Amino acid sequence: MRKALRLALREYRAAVRTKGFIIGLLVMPVLMGGSGLAMMLLKDQVDTADQRLAVMDHSGIVAPAIVEAAEERNAHEVYDESGEKVKPAYVIEVLEPAGADDASWRLALSDRVRRGDLRAFVEIGEGVGDSGADRGLGRIQYYAKNAAIDDMRRWLGWPINNRLRAARLERAGIDAQAVPGLFDWRAVEGMGLVTVDEKTGEVQEARQSSEGEAIGIPVILTMLMFMMILMGAMPLLQSVMEEKVQRIAEVLLGSLRPFQFMMGKVLGGVAVSLTSASVYVIGGILIARRLGVAEYVPYEVLPWFFGYMFLAIIMIGAMLASLGSACNDAKEAQSMTLPAMIPVMIPMFVMMPVIREPQSAFATYLSFFPPSTPMLMIMRLCTPGGIPSWQPWVGLLTVLLFTVLSVWAGGRIFRIGILMQGKAPQLGEIMRWIVRG
Amino acid sequence: MNAVEIRNVTKTFGRTRAVDDLTLDVPQGSVYGFIGPNGSGKTTTLRMIMNIFYPDSGRIRIFGEETSEACSDRIGYLPEERGLYRKMKVRELLRFYGQLKSGRDVAGEADRWLARLELSEWADRKVEALSKGMAQKVQFISTIVSRPEMIILDEPFSGLDPVNADAIRDAVLELQKEGTTVIFSTHDMSVAEKMCDFIFMIFRGRKVLDGTLASIQQAYGQDTLRVTAEGDLPPKAELPGVDAITDFGKVQELRIGAGADPQRIVRTIMDRTRVRSFELASPSLHDIFVRIAGPAAKEVTHA
Repeated sequence: MRKALRLALREYRAAVRTKGFIIGLLVMPVLMGGSGLAMMLLKDQVDTADQRLAVMDHSGIVAPAIVEAAEERNAHEVYDESGEKVKPAYVIEVLEPAGADDASWRLALSDRVRRGDLRAFVEIGEGVGDSGADRGLGRIQYYAKNAAIDDMRRWLGWPINNRLRAARLERAGIDAQAVPGLFDWRAVEGMGLVTVDEKTGEVQEARQSSEGEAIGIPVILTMLMFMMILMGAMPLLQSVMEEKVQRIAEVLLGSLRPFQFMMGKVLGGVAVSLTSASVYVIGGILIARRLGVAEYVPYEVLPWFFGYMFLAIIMIGAMLASLGSACNDAKEAQSMTLPAMIPVMIPMFVMMPVIREPQSAFATYLSFFPPSTPMLMIMRLCTPGGIPSWQPWVGLLTVLLFTVLSVWAGGRIFRIGILMQGKAPQLGEIMRWIVRG
Repeated sequence: MNAVEIRNVTKTFGRTRAVDDLTLDVPQGSVYGFIGPNGSGKTTTLRMIMNIFYPDSGRIRIFGEETSEACSDRIGYLPEERGLYRKMKVRELLRFYGQLKSGRDVAGEADRWLARLELSEWADRKVEALSKGMAQKVQFISTIVSRPEMIILDEPFSGLDPVNADAIRDAVLELQKEGTTVIFSTHDMSVAEKMCDFIFMIFRGRKVLDGTLASIQQAYGQDTLRVTAEGDLPPKAELPGVDAITDFGKVQELRIGAGADPQRIVRTIMDRTRVRSFELASPSLHDIFVRIAGPAAKEVTHA
């Protein structure tokens, strides 16, 4: 064990003393969370130039409502308190009704959109106000370059439908003005469950649940685990192969057993990941406190996170180191990387369904499947509802067993692979090394 | 006491029998030379002594103990293919290797050897900055820095210029004087002749020679006639009793068959050309090696 630890210390120093490590430490979260951060920062970076919408209203009842709503919006939403323009104003151009079946005016308007003269045009069917009418006659069609993702289209739904509801009330002989706030919308708030404080016995107020908490925290911790596996375990394949090719392996084997060699490499990887994870977790907590969202830090999950991460890197690292020992050049190592990545990728593929339904049979069973357990169990533990308390323990046990198996099998592969020269590894042969030793 | 005792050891790889029923004793404090053609089983034997390979059958005792991890801590090993961490600094690397082996800090010893082999100014440079010869000396120091009781050197002189080869040779002999057992493999027969107390030759996995140089040569008798002549020697067919002629350019070595008269052979040659010198001698280690391992390839036979 002393020798494995001495080698681990060398590996750790060799890894963390490089500039690459420090840069990687800074760059990794930027790469992983960068797109989200960029979206947040650039959310308000919109084009504020006025946007023109042409309205072809065959029904004759909707266009004035759109004009009115646009004026209302332009008056209240386009400028912020300081008078700076933060959104585009909508300029509505109401067109003289033309034949509904005549395609020529649609082409002319489309050309205007293409030229940039118009943002879009909307065609309102003549039967739009009549609920019982032919659906074809009641259609509202919005034409734009990219109509599917379009703020103006989303905005239009509101004034048009308000006008249509008012029209329906008028037709029924009800004065809409007599019912203030008739169309006011009330949102449904998501709340957590009410709990009792264990110390004081007092009933705690339920906390409002946010999407950030429900999705953000599991995603962040799972991504962190993924990053740590990439940082601590994945490089072992390459580095063992290199040490074999550079004949460092044989020099080391004059001083330590192949198993100690493998464990030294793996424990070095664990140490690198623990260092990085500690930096991220402590940094994350400090930032959360600074931003006043410390209540969302899942302190109770953190011991599980480190425990699972420790085992995950040993489990996956032993396998990768042993595969690296069977390779003779970078090409062989590369071809081994993808299959080796699959167990680590599975939890990433199933992330959303598991976060939505952490207690589904699918999520539960998959989280007991050891290569996926560390990441999936952390993901499920972080979801607001939590999971039954026995499950992480059982998960830990399966991971522990699988880690022992992986280290044992890895050791058997490593012992033969590290001295085998010039022969590309075959899966069948590697299996034979495990079985026969 | 023997530093190494190998008893009936066999090691096979697939269908190849790399080492076949080998028995060998290496006395403590001796210099033992392992010779043999490439692929004959030298490195496999050395690796089994190091406990890197396990024998299929037979047993190996190191300093009287069955091979174990603790035994190999008493042995320094310089593999044939050199391997150093390129990004580590020289002193740091030597401390690492020494500590791995002995568990203690060997900084003082490392500095002493760096000075001895004129590498002190490179102690804080990275290995990748060293020339090939310097890297080889660093690798040698890494083998001995933990003060092992025995050192195993697989081809320690290959690729070294004469100055560096002499430096390593002197270091090896100094260690031997201090009581270190030395096993080394080499393809350079003259080095083996000059340095080794004992010579062991392995060929196709089997032991074919084992003993002191004198005892080995004695077994072959004085069957070699070394001749320096001004002109060409007569062909073998005209020299009765000569089994083979090896042409070294300036010197010709004639192997004399049992019962043949060297006087008559010299006279026959003198009838043909002027002889500058002749000597009746035991065969050189080189000649013995060639006779065993590759007569067809090495001998120039005048038909």
